[in-house]
Amino acid sequence: MVTVSTLLGVAVDGLAFGVFLALLGVGITLVFGLGEVLNLAIGTFAVMAVLVATVVVESGMGLVVAAVVALVAVAAFGLVVDRTILSLVYRSEGEERILLGIFTTLGLTVFLDGVLINYFPSRYTLPLNVGTVSVGGATLTGGSLVILVVGAVVLAVLFGFLRGTFLGKATRTVFQDETGARLVGVNPRRIRTLIFVLSAAVAGLGGLVFAAGSAVAVSNGFQFTTFALIISIVGGVRSLVGAVTAGVLLGLVNQFANFFVGSYIATIILFVTAIVVLLARPEAIS
Amino acid sequence: MSARPSLGAEARNVAVVAALFAVAPLAVLGSSYYESVLAHLLLIALFAVALNIVFGHTDQLFLFVGGLAGVGAYGTALLADALSVSAWVTLPVAALVCGLIGLLVSYVSAKRKFTVVLISILTLNLQLVFSEVFVGARDLTGGSTGFPYEYFELGVVAEAIGVEEKLVLYYLVLLLLVATLGVYLRLVHSKYGVAFDAIREDEIAAESIGIDVVRYKTIAGFVAAFLIGLTGAFFARESGYILPGGFTFLAVDVVVLIVLVVGGLRTTLGPIVGAVIVVGIEEFLSSAQSLQSWQSAIFGALLIVLFLYFRRGVVRSVRDALDDAGLTGDREGGGTDAEADGGR
Repeated sequence: MVTVSTLLGVAVDGLAFGVFLALLGVGITLVFGLGEVLNLAIGTFAVMAVLVATVVVESGMGLVVAAVVALVAVAAFGLVVDRTILSLVYRSEGEERILLGIFTTLGLTVFLDGVLINYFPSRYTLPLNVGTVSVGGATLTGGSLVILVVGAVVLAVLFGFLRGTFLGKATRTVFQDETGARLVGVNPRRIRTLIFVLSAAVAGLGGLVFAAGSAVAVSNGFQFTTFALIISIVGGVRSLVGAVTAGVLLGLVNQFANFFVGSYIATIILFVTAIVVLLARPEAIS
Repeated sequence: MSARPSLGAEARNVAVVAALFAVAPLAVLGSSYYESVLAHLLLIALFAVALNIVFGHTDQLFLFVGGLAGVGAYGTALLADALSVSAWVTLPVAALVCGLIGLLVSYVSAKRKFTVVLISILTLNLQLVFSEVFVGARDLTGGSTGFPYEYFELGVVAEAIGVEEKLVLYYLVLLLLVATLGVYLRLVHSKYGVAFDAIREDEIAAESIGIDVVRYKTIAGFVAAFLIGLTGAFFARESGYILPGGFTFLAVDVVVLIVLVVGGLRTTLGPIVGAVIVVGIEEFLSSAQSLQSWQSAIFGALLIVLFLYFRRGVVRSVRDALDDAGLTGDREGGGTDAEADGGR
């Protein structure tokens, strides 16, 4: 018989996995909503953050320092990608741009995976070492709780930035009406760069969050990308709130399916959910 | 805008290429490694021809070539084992299943007016479902360790003629490729080709002049998926062993996409030229010891550069160069496809 406290434990782990999914989904959503580029390299960005953090930790630094260095490194890499590849992609318009975005970021994934595997051949974890916490008889994974808190704070800051600051407002203007934004003096290309760098950092954080609980290998990159795609499909690719909701919801669904029917079926459930949503309401993404 | 070479010229080109490939094994006779490379090349070209029909001509970006090929390969083998019949009997059944999957995907996408991004995401998700099933349904598929793939009783034929099994498979695949190109030529030089062009150009306009967009897209989806399933079974036969890892997005789709784009979308020989170039590069990289570990990195970099700067493809570039030099006289329409196809 499954006890309530076990279920509570599964739920907390599910929420933590949901935070990871939400961060990835937000990363995809920000960039697609703003520039019509579907960043298929986003999962690899997440893996990169884990690898950088691993290197820093191995050199004797603390976990927090490692996380900060990793996020800065991934953000800087995002800037490079934006200035080079994406600049070329943004030259084309409409469907042409979408396809070009898909192809080039796909190429980027293959390239990065090919480079990284040479230096990081095994699997890497970032141990949080916080043990377990007992709450009213239920044993909760400490790592999951930390992730929940970090995720909630970061997402709150992100929303605060988009709603509260001038830059955030400018971003949302471009989201809604590019021509209008240009008329009031907002430079869409600048905003796109900012958002791409931001999305790289958010994805990087997603990777770190995931690695706090499980091992990450270079080959996980594309799998993470597909998770990100699923979240943005289910949440509606232009809606940040949708991405977060979908992330948390599917994180829970996945963890419970994992618990009751096994990981193989759980993964299939994730993909099938995306397909069903895609068929039911395609307008959310097109 | 239909400015492709005439049917006769294209058929002649295909015949020349077929003849070249028919004698190709003679040059490397006895080297089963090169015979494998040649067979692999033709199989990749076959996938690219199929993708050309559905993506090149009707703008439906199928990103589950690997998954469909897997369904064809696993389906053929598992059915043959379960019913204790020859794989020759179950091959068309498995291919038909693949065709129906393609038909369904295209039908739903066309009915619901999916954009190319939506179709690509939909098929990518299906691909991942297939991949999960191949790995996860251990009792059926042998999980990630797979099983030996020795179907189609090629040994009997090989013994009868007195050649190697590998060579029999090679010529079988070549035959399949020539037949497929024949189907392709018939298709694009018929009313279907005209309809495909119209649909790609402007779907709404095509509909308004009485072209049944859903029907044509669905047909393209069926034909392509059927071919992919068919090819998939021989793909596994060529390796002699079936593994889920051989049918993933990164293992099949990425390669096939590059082949098609490098060779030239919407060209008859593009898939073959592309396969020669890409498989050639692959073999070069994997044979050069110093480059081996960088194979996939170089491949990825190549992919980015090609997509950014070289979207017109080799075949079209060469054709235009020949035209400029006044070496070809058999074109129907003049050089307008540079503008019409400059898109991607």
